[in-house]
Amino acid sequence: MAKLYEEKTTPPDLNKNTEWLMYPGVWTTYILIVFFWWLVVLSVSGCSLGAAWTVVNLVHFAITFQFFHWTKGTPFAEDQGVYNNLTWWEQIDNGKQLTRNRKFLTVVPLVLYLIASHTTDHQKPMLLLNTIAVIILVGAKCPNMHEVHLLGINGDRWPASAPLEDHDR
Amino acid sequence: MVRLPYLTALTTLFSYGLLFAFGQMRDFFRKILDLWKSKNLQGYAPICLGLEDFYTRRLYLRIQDCFNRPIAGAPDAWIDVVERYSKDSNKTLHRTSKINKCINLGSYNYLGFAAADEYCTPRVIESLKQYSPSTCSARVDGGTTKLHAELEEVVARFVGKPAAILFGMGYATNSAIIPALIGKGGLIISDSLNHNSIVNGARGSGATVRVFQHNSAAHLEEVLREQIAEGQPRTHRPWKKIIVIIEGIYSMEGELCKLPEIIAVCKKYKAYTYLDEAHSIGAIGKSGRGVCELLGVDTADMDIMMGTFTKSFGSCGGYIAASKEIIQHLKNTCPAHFYATSMSPPAAQQVISAIKVVLGEDGSNRGAQKLAQIRDNSNFFRSELHKMGFEVLGDNDSPVMPIMLYNPAKIPAFSRECLRRNLAVVTVAFPATPLLLARARICISASHTREDMIKALEVISKVGDLVGIKYFPVEPQKHLTDKIQKKLE
Repeated sequence: MAKLYEEKTTPPDLNKNTEWLMYPGVWTTYILIVFFWWLVVLSVSGCSLGAAWTVVNLVHFAITFQFFHWTKGTPFAEDQGVYNNLTWWEQIDNGKQLTRNRKFLTVVPLVLYLIASHTTDHQKPMLLLNTIAVIILVGAKCPNMHEVHLLGINGDRWPASAPLEDHDR
Repeated sequence: MVRLPYLTALTTLFSYGLLFAFGQMRDFFRKILDLWKSKNLQGYAPICLGLEDFYTRRLYLRIQDCFNRPIAGAPDAWIDVVERYSKDSNKTLHRTSKINKCINLGSYNYLGFAAADEYCTPRVIESLKQYSPSTCSARVDGGTTKLHAELEEVVARFVGKPAAILFGMGYATNSAIIPALIGKGGLIISDSLNHNSIVNGARGSGATVRVFQHNSAAHLEEVLREQIAEGQPRTHRPWKKIIVIIEGIYSMEGELCKLPEIIAVCKKYKAYTYLDEAHSIGAIGKSGRGVCELLGVDTADMDIMMGTFTKSFGSCGGYIAASKEIIQHLKNTCPAHFYATSMSPPAAQQVISAIKVVLGEDGSNRGAQKLAQIRDNSNFFRSELHKMGFEVLGDNDSPVMPIMLYNPAKIPAFSRECLRRNLAVVTVAFPATPLLLARARICISASHTREDMIKALEVISKVGDLVGIKYFPVEPQKHLTDKIQKKLE
């Protein structure tokens, strides 16, 4: 009966959009969801194992790219828009790089790529798509890419407001 | 410290993922369908960026009937809740004329002053006739009546500080005072679970804000040492002043703050302390003087003590109690004193009468009875809930007890099932609480009788079984009903 309950003290991450990452079970849920969708794709389409993993990899690429690296800001208005220029990836762990969560989220697309290319026996058309997906995803998660927008894609629509005047008491 | 079963964490994350996915899909299709409709913005910018109100549109509106319920009477131990219906799945709600009488576990009515009181109400009506409902003026212009001056003295005497200043609104007290006390070049260190009013006041002040782990004096010391050593950002000059802001009872957790340890740390590093006693003044302590009395801390060690009259005194407004010099400074600089309308005179009279009852100065011992009653009620309710297997937060003696729900679907389930059985509870979800930790917050009052509480416990137990929130093992049922019968006798 010992480890039936997880004990957690409330973490001081103020960004309500990302502080749920500190709780137990997040990584397991992520892996379980990916696995679950692989089973669904297999049962619905009846294609080969490799094709199912490729589909899962590509859909995973589309969804995680959209939500981690494209949409900026938070889905609620309570924080008054202080994170409006940061994507979700840039917001997590208060912007600190190379934390455990970030390393885990970088490893997942790599592992998916390895599984997808192995089960398709590295065949030509699918290998190319999988490789592009993994290069974009892992590249976007590099610490050097923090707040960098290549070619101005998805850059700041509204530049940060000018600093307030200096009121010296 | 929250304990949640691992499986519950997994299912809660999965539920939120599912809700998020559905919301995004609906938004996606809405965007496509709206491409054909013309946008008649006429050159104006849209009010909301697409993502900002996602939570409101796709999650909150679905369970909107659990919040903002209109009431039709005073929030006593029993409350009249107006029934509402919706024809478009909760996007708009319409009131009916039907009223449900429910046991009230949601109002901050700690000492039972919210409804008519034999000592307070006649005096309030008299002051209403004499002074009229509003002073129609700011304090500094024509809004300081005899009642305001008397209330400031009474509050200062009650709390144990030399002087006090009043404001018409509790939230505005925090958000207007903190900018008047500290500005750019100062440092505010606030507890991670502080109330939104403190967060807004700190943001509005322009000072640098740092957060320390909830109730952890060790982490506070770490943050203080780091910040004092580093100084102001970029210039590294010493900070102009440092204020540490904490609360007496944290309203979402129901737990007391570790006051003696935190005060010791602040004294060691010469930081000022600001204590927000919104929920603890009048409700805890032997004579109701709040968390300082309960934990044995000398009020001279706290620099600024803030509180509200809405919770224990059945009125509205807030106060700040501090030394004469600080109060004089606030009266000369605080914008809420200059520009905000002063507290309503009948409301001030209500607080004066309520404090007199609590202190026993009305000639009876009703005050002491109420304080003993709320302590007994809270401890009884909390222990019974524990025995039923619920996860209840909060320390002993605290009248606020959140029952953990976790899963997002259990929030409307618990709320609606309780309302169906004539029990009014308040449920709180993300973003007021962390994502995984949705809860139903119960506030016990001194006006709840044993029968009320036992009825409420039965309802909560039944609904808890239905909804599935008894996460911990239950004591055998037979002994429980026997014990309740014994307690009734």
